[in-house]
Amino acid sequence: MKKLSYLSSIFLISFCCYCYTGQTYASSIAFDQEQFSLMKKQNKGKQWLMLLWSVDCPACFKELAVIQQLQHQQDNLAVVIINTDANNETTQERIEIIEKFGLSHVSNFHFLDGKSEQSRYIIDSNWYGELPRSYFVESNGNFHGKSGLIKPAIIAQWLLN
Amino acid sequence: MSMSMLSRSTLQIIVCTLLIFTAANVVKAAEHSHQAMQAKTEQQAVCDETKITCAKTVTSVFAPNGDLWRLWAINSSMYFQVSIDNGLTFSATNRIAIDKEKISARNENRPKIAFDKYQGVYLSWASPKEKKYTADIRFAYSNNNGKTFSTPITVNNDNLLTGHSFNEMLVTDEGDISLVWLDSRHAYQLNLQGKPTNGSSLYLAKANFRKNHKVFSNQQLANNTCVCCRIAMDYNNNGDLAILWRHIYGDNIREFALLTVAQKTVAQNKSAQHEPEQKTPYQISYDHWKINGCPHQGGAISINNNNRYHLVWFNQGDLGKGIFYASSDDQGKSLTKPISVGMQSAQASHPHMNTNGNNIDIVWTQFTGTTHQLWHQRSIDNGKSFSKAKLLATASSGSDRPFIIKKDDVSYVSWHRPKQGHWIKAL
Repeated sequence: MKKLSYLSSIFLISFCCYCYTGQTYASSIAFDQEQFSLMKKQNKGKQWLMLLWSVDCPACFKELAVIQQLQHQQDNLAVVIINTDANNETTQERIEIIEKFGLSHVSNFHFLDGKSEQSRYIIDSNWYGELPRSYFVESNGNFHGKSGLIKPAIIAQWLLN
Repeated sequence: MSMSMLSRSTLQIIVCTLLIFTAANVVKAAEHSHQAMQAKTEQQAVCDETKITCAKTVTSVFAPNGDLWRLWAINSSMYFQVSIDNGLTFSATNRIAIDKEKISARNENRPKIAFDKYQGVYLSWASPKEKKYTADIRFAYSNNNGKTFSTPITVNNDNLLTGHSFNEMLVTDEGDISLVWLDSRHAYQLNLQGKPTNGSSLYLAKANFRKNHKVFSNQQLANNTCVCCRIAMDYNNNGDLAILWRHIYGDNIREFALLTVAQKTVAQNKSAQHEPEQKTPYQISYDHWKINGCPHQGGAISINNNNRYHLVWFNQGDLGKGIFYASSDDQGKSLTKPISVGMQSAQASHPHMNTNGNNIDIVWTQFTGTTHQLWHQRSIDNGKSFSKAKLLATASSGSDRPFIIKKDDVSYVSWHRPKQGHWIKAL
């Protein structure tokens, strides 16, 4: 009976933990050199995608929608989403859009107010801010940048195991 | 263990797990609320909106009487200051006396201001609506040098909840208003019919409030324009409007296009030896920038007194990367060979230009990795050759687009540096 109680408690606690983690809201993290290094370290050895977007970029929304769709097919997509607005005035809008696309639990970053060029430069000194911008990162750490909307099939092929 | 003990034990476990669950949700809610709070705090951290340092964008223009006006928008209000000494000192900040409404004022989008020679002040802006990527082009007029303004009106006449933005405005001394913008009404209608669309349309509106022509005409000039780059325009020597914008050619090739819109009748055109009315825009750039997205980089045009069109643009195509300058003496039908401007490796971008007689001034921004730079290059032979590029100013906490404005025969560069201040200097 004692064993039964023990098992019940494990089950209930696991259930609660599942309920909790399934609805976690992760805050967006301010992007800087340190965070970028950490991001690369955390994804080391993986094939992953870094997607950059802005609230002023209609095409970016289509790419966010693709990620939203892929989430339904596979948990824990190796994707990092970075907002490039670098503008405190758009913070609320940014949060609402990420929530609307159900991407709050994905790894989210944002450029700090007034740090647009600095942040871009950290990522890629040859990128001029055109959007959407996608970096396909190979498991050996090589980055391949592409501007403009990427075909959903290509993103799916890259992210789905 | 008795049955009652089992029930008590199970009950304890359930209560315990419920408590954990509740605690977890409290943490989650707190996290979420913290996120919302953070957003609120970041927004609240914005400084005094009457201070220009708080603005993300600034629009500067010299009025016909020589006064320099600068305009910015924050939190649904527009503010202006006036300088009578070419930008050395400015008046106290004045709020544009109209009801509050949303105003697009970041990156390529910003309110515009223009003047006639009868103390008329003209304002236009894009006002975002409740649905994402929808906005109206708005307009207000003052006949008393900005003391009061008319109740704002909507310029686009489609009454549709769709995109209308990236407004540009020119006003003649006599008060003839020309307003252009990117308009999504055509795409909206096609979407309703389930047809594919790509890009927006270019629209032109005209009115003259001094002459009591207060209803703006709406004329579509082109389809398939890029949706997120500013438009540029100037009057040519015939008083016609020359408009430069980023167009979508073929499969998302984003190149610049130029159209000169005749202001007069064909008969008048013939008698005045005007160029024939242009129906199809001329393609200006051939850099082959293929991108299904937002370049966020418009061009600039300036026409000097020998009717030569001078143009700058930015592209990142397979055939051309960076800033380019070219000119045309036949309204864009043929072009000089584009000259590369600025250091591509130093993020040279956001060019603007102006002409003054045979002087051609080009400004642009570069970035060192830590510092924003404003650069300038001048030609004194109508664009045939240019002096060595010169660094004019730097910024540490952000950079607005630079612009060259004119007062008589002197050109000035206007560059807003958010959090640092608006910088203006004679070139």
